[in-house]
Amino acid sequence: MKKKKSETLYPLIVKIVFVAALLVLWEYVAKSGLLGEHSALIFPSLETIGAAFIRNFKVGFAGSSLWIYIGNSMKLLLEGLLLGIGLAFVFSGLSIISRTFSIIYNFVVSICDLLPGVALLPVVIIIFGVKPGVIVFLVVHAVIWPMSRNILDGFLAVPQIYVEAGRNIGLKGFRLLTGVYLPAATSYIVSGLKVGWARAWRGLISAEMIFGIASCPGIGLYINQMRTNMNNAEMYATLIVIVIIGVVVQYGILSPIENNTVKKWGMTR
Amino acid sequence: MSDILLELKGLTKIFTDDAGTAEVLRSVDLKVPEKEFLCILGPSGCGKTTLLRCIAGFETFTGSVLIDGQPRTQPGTDRIMVFQDFNQLFPWKTVEKNIQYPLRLSGIKDKAELKRRSDEAIAKVQLTGWEHYYPYQLSGGMKQRVAIAKALALKPRIILMDEPFAALDAMTRRDLQKEMLRILGEEESTVIFITHNIQEAIFLGTRILVLQPGGEIVYDEPNTLPKPVTPASDEYGRLWGTLNAALYSRSQG
Repeated sequence: MKKKKSETLYPLIVKIVFVAALLVLWEYVAKSGLLGEHSALIFPSLETIGAAFIRNFKVGFAGSSLWIYIGNSMKLLLEGLLLGIGLAFVFSGLSIISRTFSIIYNFVVSICDLLPGVALLPVVIIIFGVKPGVIVFLVVHAVIWPMSRNILDGFLAVPQIYVEAGRNIGLKGFRLLTGVYLPAATSYIVSGLKVGWARAWRGLISAEMIFGIASCPGIGLYINQMRTNMNNAEMYATLIVIVIIGVVVQYGILSPIENNTVKKWGMTR
Repeated sequence: MSDILLELKGLTKIFTDDAGTAEVLRSVDLKVPEKEFLCILGPSGCGKTTLLRCIAGFETFTGSVLIDGQPRTQPGTDRIMVFQDFNQLFPWKTVEKNIQYPLRLSGIKDKAELKRRSDEAIAKVQLTGWEHYYPYQLSGGMKQRVAIAKALALKPRIILMDEPFAALDAMTRRDLQKEMLRILGEEESTVIFITHNIQEAIFLGTRILVLQPGGEIVYDEPNTLPKPVTPASDEYGRLWGTLNAALYSRSQG
């Protein structure tokens, strides 16, 4: 028991010490005026950033607190993620059932996975105009291909013996998919979720920064506004918010999924 | 003969790949009556595993596989396979759920009934107390016991066992052989059991078959030695010698 505790405690201590050292360094650079006369602007001190952090939520920009921006971003992100993940499951599942579909879909995934969402942005805007739907489209694009690639690879890696054991007890078609292929490919699906979520999150922020939608302003737009207004401390503070959201998703959603599936089943360590 | 459970008629299996074609089974005929424990011995590559896989419905073949006179070409719960590979259990299900899942698929929805059936099967293989463990937490021998329990719980017409103990250490294998014998004494199941181990075939089988490449049956006799068979049993040495000769009849040297 004791050994186990130190195993979980040690990485935590390392991380805390590392972050503390970084903060001390940051504060030193900020206070020392190392970067010339604009030092305070480029490298705002920790307390300035802290104050900006609170100001982001209390005052915000253009009369809206950062919460509103976060809410807008999250709403679009969630819509896009659900749609993208759902479609990835449907199409990858169909690939198991139909060989022709599998050939086509593998081809499509290989091509589309290489297209950065941001590069598609101009085309999408020309066709659909500047609407929140465009962001959702980009999030779907960001998540569906890596997610599908992982699910498809996961299906290929399902040991033949599970498939035979499944067929032996009367599973075929859709039920073989849900009863054997999906659970057996869970570790691939989980890593697909991680990659998909990270790509979607980045894609969302980039899209919002490139064109802000006034009807649905998000975090990316907020950062950009802070930049144009030279509110550098707020800019840094918003970056911290983005990191916090990422960490919350990782530890609040993705890790529990992993712990309750592949880790519990001994499929990964 | 109404008590013939399984019949193979002209069972032929040809594998084709880039290297050419290989006739693994050449027109095999076989009748297996109910409650028989048929051990099939054969050298590597004689087609014994392919024979079992054809019966299980995992392979395409020509000729026919009949269960109670009805042809079978697809897998089904009337023929349950126990593989050699320890990893035949679903790792995402506990021991209990691995056993209950096929029962649920076969139409048993009542939870109490499922529990009763799985508990009974688990007790038969002496794993009571391990119901809620996941497969990765079990040893190889225990996993094979679960696989056997899963097959028993389904009460199939025939259990197909493909060298289920071959990857176990000698002591565990002996334990499992003894348990197989005990369980079958209670169950009266029909079993086809593939092995390359002569001692195992004599110990378990009520009938022993020796295959040579192409699925040619070179020996097919009932095993009349009284159970439990030990190397000290009368006739053990003679039977062992006969089987050994049949097994190595085609090998050089």
